Amino acid sequence: MAASNGFPGAGRKIAFEILSHLDANVAGPRLGKLSIKGRHDVETPNFFAVTSRGVIPHLTPDVISSHTHIGGVHMALEDFVERAMGGTPPVVNCPGPSPLHTFTALPKSLPSLLAPRRTPAVSAPNGNSNSAISIFTSTGFQVLSNKSYISYVENLRPDIAISLADIPYGALPGTKRVAKMGDRTQEWLSQLINEKREEQVIFAPVLPIDYLDQSEYLNNIADEQADEVSGLALYDSNLLPDIPATTAITKLPRLSLDEPSSPRQILRQVSLGMDLFTVPFIGFATDAGIALTFRFPRPLPTGVAISNGVGALQLGVDMWPAVHATSVTPLDTSCSCYTCTSHHRAYVQHLLSAKEMLGWVLLQVHNHHILSEFFAAIRESISSGNFDADCEEFGRIYESELPEKSGQGPRVRGYHFKSEGPSEPKKNRPAWGNLGSDDQEASSKLVPDEPAAELEGKGFAEKMED
Amino acid sequence: MTPITPMPSALAFELVARCSTTKARAAILTLPHGPVQLPLFMPVATQASLKGLTPQQLEETGCRLCLNNTYHLGLKPGQEVLEKVGGAHKLQGWKHNILTDSGGFQMVSLLKLANITEEGVRFLSPHDGTPMLLTPEHSIALQNTIGSDIIMQLDDVLVTTSPDTKRMREAMERSVRWLDRCIAAHANPTKQNLFCIIQGGLDLQMRTECCKEMVARNTPGIAIGGLSGGEAKADYCRVVNTCTGLLPEMKPRYVMGIGYPEDLVVSVALGADMFDCVWPTRTARFGNAITKHGVLNLRHARYANDFGPVEEGCGCVCCRTGDGGLGITKAFVHHVAAKETVGAHLLTMHNVWYQLALMRSVRQSIIEDRFPAFLKNFFSDLHGGDKSKYPEWAVEALKNVGVDLME
Repeated sequence: MAASNGFPGAGRKIAFEILSHLDANVAGPRLGKLSIKGRHDVETPNFFAVTSRGVIPHLTPDVISSHTHIGGVHMALEDFVERAMGGTPPVVNCPGPSPLHTFTALPKSLPSLLAPRRTPAVSAPNGNSNSAISIFTSTGFQVLSNKSYISYVENLRPDIAISLADIPYGALPGTKRVAKMGDRTQEWLSQLINEKREEQVIFAPVLPIDYLDQSEYLNNIADEQADEVSGLALYDSNLLPDIPATTAITKLPRLSLDEPSSPRQILRQVSLGMDLFTVPFIGFATDAGIALTFRFPRPLPTGVAISNGVGALQLGVDMWPAVHATSVTPLDTSCSCYTCTSHHRAYVQHLLSAKEMLGWVLLQVHNHHILSEFFAAIRESISSGNFDADCEEFGRIYESELPEKSGQGPRVRGYHFKSEGPSEPKKNRPAWGNLGSDDQEASSKLVPDEPAAELEGKGFAEKMED
Repeated sequence: MTPITPMPSALAFELVARCSTTKARAAILTLPHGPVQLPLFMPVATQASLKGLTPQQLEETGCRLCLNNTYHLGLKPGQEVLEKVGGAHKLQGWKHNILTDSGGFQMVSLLKLANITEEGVRFLSPHDGTPMLLTPEHSIALQNTIGSDIIMQLDDVLVTTSPDTKRMREAMERSVRWLDRCIAAHANPTKQNLFCIIQGGLDLQMRTECCKEMVARNTPGIAIGGLSGGEAKADYCRVVNTCTGLLPEMKPRYVMGIGYPEDLVVSVALGADMFDCVWPTRTARFGNAITKHGVLNLRHARYANDFGPVEEGCGCVCCRTGDGGLGITKAFVHHVAAKETVGAHLLTMHNVWYQLALMRSVRQSIIEDRFPAFLKNFFSDLHGGDKSKYPEWAVEALKNVGVDLME
């Protein structure tokens, strides 16, 4: 029952092997192996880490190599082309056989996936046109034509490129607009296929609209382009059951760009047959100071479960509260990541409260590790045939959403978000107050902001007798 | 004054080589958490973390002795937490040595309304205005709890450029009296090394007196303090040169707050062994890379398409290619500098490596007795061989120890 979509032509750089699938005609979880020439094999289901400006936030490439086991990375073209208006963006000029890899110093073993936009993407004020989409660079909005996207793909040579898709981020598209989305996306995909180098691997986007509204586009992929396309990138995972179940389409790897907000949503997508994921909530949890602690399908026997008192276990622990200040236990006692084997909660709590960058580094290492373990456990479960029962158990044991954040994250940068209206609160606290003003900033971290008695209790200094 | 009974020490100082021309020395300083090679630069991990680097990454730069700031650790996480966790080594997962300052300097520079009396540093709690007092005893107790391998006495710090000679003398003499209180309060002399701090501003006579008094107290190591506060470099060199001439040969000499590469090599020539400064790590966060040809601001547009390493031939993990090296280019640092913290982390690793590697090659040249040639090479690289650009103070200071950069 193993189906293989392997190196048919000599020029083919990618192979996807489906290792287990109950019935190709019924939606269900499946195991696979994605092989890309020169990179490590990716067992699926699995995830690609989300990057910002070509880096996994907080993690230097040496830390990625030594302390993570991610499948690959998702990069956004809009993070590299802010200089496109005045000439060629530097990344294009980078020498070597894989400029995107070389430029970002990405570890050689990791596959790279290039998408036009970040995930999640900021919605653009201007719509897309017949030949171009709006993107958001670090210096503002720009127009990216399919022609230039094709040439970027040609120059940057990512291991996988997702073809340009006409997606109106933000507002829901009207009926007329929906009709155009499929047509444009199909047109852009055909152009890319015609002009790309033979060995360039392409994933075709599946739009976040009803199947019927894009059936022509999807049928075209199934009938005409299944050999040219090496995978599907779904902007809405609910479309998965509707995809034409032809052999050619079924054997393609499926990537979810649906931005699951919880492990439950990942499980649901896996149960529909999703193979690859981007998981933006890892980064959200890290920035919020939350250490993820969920396991699949249940806590490891060595793990100390954290209950919220109602019975359901929390998916993560907020590391900001002072209760962790003297706790020398790992973030998660059953975890074997660098953070948990080398450091303890007291340190992470201290680093967050002191706003030291290392706090987020350690959380990011841990949270990526937890997701790697989560996907490994999912594969194990599918392989042993217990996936449905395990999902049910997971749903019973764990809460459905991540815990609320209580503390401040690192500073948010301009290209991370766009304000949606005039009355929005500030994303960052002011970094500096007036120096030497009469009201000394009591919130600044460099002066004691606790009452004198507390300061004395800490042994910092003593109160003076009058 | 009468010499005090020899105080215990938790270090061993082994002199390995002396430069036959200058006053430079190479030594091995063995501390409770292992040996370090002198001369040495110590990067500053202010709040128990070296600005975004994991302790493992810091270790990979070759660092075996870093600083923590007592003032900051006293506020966060505080003495009680440090006590429960078991000290700063355990808090930050650092297997090697730590040096802590006394907290007095930050107290005076960061807190308004702090003033110094014989008892200690008085300040108003910024939270509720309660008058408070930090004494030498507090500082030592806190450093005892931190458990650092080298602890510093609380001193009466004054900017060296202060014109008030009377106040300067008072500060110098008070620092000596506070040293006695620190020695008396020190609870772990067999596990932690207390260093005295020579004060006396730019007045060589006062510095001389202070050296005499403090050397008599026989602390395991000696620091020269109050410098790096905006004084003329020539004045700085005179003070260091005077002090090192009066200090015992078999003890480590630490000049506080020094970190520019040219300051480091000149200070070594004047007989100093240990240095610390936040500049290399702070400037990294502003996108600046330290190289032997000077500091490069990689945020400048000219580096956007520069696909060379941050520094050609550099052995740091960022600049190296192959064998675990990352092959980071200037263009990539430009791409992420000031936008993603990874940019800061990469340059922090490079800059710390640069400083430590500089001191390693200084040491090697002292051992092979070619330090004068090293100095000439160093200044030539830094100024592109243009002798007219050499700083006068450095030329002058080195001439005084037998090296003529202009010849």
